[in-house]
Amino acid sequence: MTRTLSLRMRIGLAVMLAMLVVLGGRLFHVQGLDPAGHAHEALSNRLHSIELPPARGDILDAQGRLMASSADRFDIVADPRLVGEYTVYDEQLQMQRPVTADEAAVEIATILDLETEDVLEAMTEEDTHYSVITRSVTPEQQRQIMELEVPGVYAEPVSERTYPSGPVGGSIIGFVGSDGPLEGIESAEDEALTGEPGERVYEIGADGVRIPNATYEEIAAEDGQDIRLTIDQDLQWFAQEAIAEKASQYNAQWANATVLDLKTGEIMAMADSESVDPANPGDSDELFRRPLALTQDFEPGSVGKALTFAMALEEGQMQPDDAFTVPDQLTVDGETIQDARPHDTYEMTAAGIFARSYNTGTVMIGNEVPEATRYDYMRKVGLGETLDVGLGIEAESILRPPEEWDPRQPLTTQFGQGYTTSVLHNVQLYQMLANDGVKQPLRIVDSYIDPDGDEHPVETESERVFSSETSQEMLKLMEGVVDYGSAMDAEIEGYRVGGKTGSAETAGEHGGFDGYTQSFIGVAPLEDPQYLVSVTLHRPQGQWGEWEITDTFTEIMSHTLASYDVAPTGADSEAYDGFVGERQDYPW
Amino acid sequence: MSLATVSDLREEQRQSGESGQKPKPALQVLPKIRRRQRGLAAGVIILLVAALAAVLTVNIHVANTQYQLVQMTNEHQSLVHENEALAEQVQYLQSPQALSNSAVTIGMVMPATAGTFDLETSSVVNSAEEAPSTGAPSTFVGAPQEPGAEAPAAVDVSEHILDAPGGLTGSGALHTLTEGSAGQNGAGGEDQSTSADRGVGLNGGTIPAPRLDED
Repeated sequence: MTRTLSLRMRIGLAVMLAMLVVLGGRLFHVQGLDPAGHAHEALSNRLHSIELPPARGDILDAQGRLMASSADRFDIVADPRLVGEYTVYDEQLQMQRPVTADEAAVEIATILDLETEDVLEAMTEEDTHYSVITRSVTPEQQRQIMELEVPGVYAEPVSERTYPSGPVGGSIIGFVGSDGPLEGIESAEDEALTGEPGERVYEIGADGVRIPNATYEEIAAEDGQDIRLTIDQDLQWFAQEAIAEKASQYNAQWANATVLDLKTGEIMAMADSESVDPANPGDSDELFRRPLALTQDFEPGSVGKALTFAMALEEGQMQPDDAFTVPDQLTVDGETIQDARPHDTYEMTAAGIFARSYNTGTVMIGNEVPEATRYDYMRKVGLGETLDVGLGIEAESILRPPEEWDPRQPLTTQFGQGYTTSVLHNVQLYQMLANDGVKQPLRIVDSYIDPDGDEHPVETESERVFSSETSQEMLKLMEGVVDYGSAMDAEIEGYRVGGKTGSAETAGEHGGFDGYTQSFIGVAPLEDPQYLVSVTLHRPQGQWGEWEITDTFTEIMSHTLASYDVAPTGADSEAYDGFVGERQDYPW
Repeated sequence: MSLATVSDLREEQRQSGESGQKPKPALQVLPKIRRRQRGLAAGVIILLVAALAAVLTVNIHVANTQYQLVQMTNEHQSLVHENEALAEQVQYLQSPQALSNSAVTIGMVMPATAGTFDLETSSVVNSAEEAPSTGAPSTFVGAPQEPGAEAPAAVDVSEHILDAPGGLTGSGALHTLTEGSAGQNGAGGEDQSTSADRGVGLNGGTIPAPRLDED
């Protein structure tokens, strides 16, 4: 009996073993080798990863006041397929009561301050399961909406930029569109502000619920850096008010006031006559959405004479008290130039020519310096080069090489015509003239602040362009302009102030000139120059000569000196005499 | 193995009992528990029950705590949002435009030149000017978007007036802020009686003078 059983069992055993081998092999094939990628597919089906967005950095002013920040907002969205009548528990009635979609729409519209019809339309839109009722509501409104418990109405969290000071420095801060940053610091420093997104990876079951004790990885997001600007928010506001008032007084196309710490090259305020509110950029004219000091270039006019005087001093071709016989017309190489107003021929000093801003005298001095050297100086101070202060916008300046100059340009370039500059090019020139001849590149970003508080200041390299002596003499020439020259109203009691006026015709769109650009750049206090204020008025209405802009300069400069605790010294002027001899009050 | 049935055993017992010769066999499935061991067993059972109770308690506690955690997370979230809304409100009030408006409301004007003395030479560097009463700041720059009515109600500083420090920087200043202006800018639309009442304590100024009879 055992034998027969043994035989049957052996056969059975063999069959079972064979089947087991086949099954085992198949199991190994499916699970171990996974040629069709089923296991992998299953895992990737279960694996779910979501991006953890980093918090966008803030933009701060020089004192750390918030100029741009991010806040939690919600988009209120409806799934019209789920919207319908529902019941809520009424505490007064102490029972469930039905609420129709219409009633819900009324309540939502009241909370969101919208039209009931619009809300109802969004809630009952056909052939969609995603209909936006409104965007960017505050958490408080979102909470109220959620408390209504309307089926099919939910809130999606979004992050929104807020600009607590609105249009103060709006064109500098820039703004963010629905697809990302568009202008200003928001755009130029987007990479630093954005940070690195993190990721959360976990496994989910078929019902979408996370499987506990399965894969779970979280890579934390790295928040963006905060950016501290060199802008002083209060001063920026003050300058914006002052320049807007000036632009409105003369109905100018635009106007700009820029304040600079000339020892460091930090731009403390860059105010335009109109400024975009980053929260509603669409409300502003396109011209005012970007900083005018960078986007607009124009002929600087007499402001550019400072360079001619500085190079003549630097080259040893002129001393401030050198005497010149200055007529109101001068013909050089067949080209006649004249002064803005006719005047008698005067025996003047170089300082007097600068103070009265005579073109004829300026050319007499500038012609002492060879043309090639003049051009080299112009390039050296940044004319004809683009200028970027860290806003991602390159300020243009057009200066052709001497070979391409027309017959007048060798003369006109000496008094600020025949080339163009932006406000910041002019500011940079006066910065180096007033800062002991040392150029500090202009900048607007002070430092980057990591989320952990580490600060990374922006460093720039200074460069000596003029000698200390030239700088000292230039300050005295500028003082003459305010003492007895073309900007006598720029005086500030108790302080020594110097500067230079400028007026140039503005090229029209269709050739020729059809307007004026009036400017003044001043520095104070002259015994130790600290601040520079530039005021530019473009295409003011009215007649040439009736535009007064030095009052805006004194307003902003006095405010700056007072705000930054620069005490008045009451020191006496060191300006040179303007005319040769005793008499100094010759008519204009 | 041969098995003896229970009836056989009983029969056997009866027989032996009747004879009285054989001693009663001790039928023992479990060893006899001694008194001390009994205590141990009770202890073990109590321990088990206690452990069970502890596990249950812990479980209940964990479940409750989880509910609490969710609740507190929500609370935290809403507090964060509330804090954010208040911060936004503060930032709005700190904006130069809002500050300028508030200053005008309480009757302030733009400053004029300040007087300066040189202490070393005891000389007047420049003399002070009187600020013109019409020197309100211009309002060319638009106000920022107000955080709005959706933000939590503005904190009413007057509620905290009793806890505030006294003097010019304390309740006096708060009083000025909350009571608004006696200056020309804000006085126009105000109820005459209130401004008259206010005038008594203010002696024509905007900050009430300290009083001796106050507790």
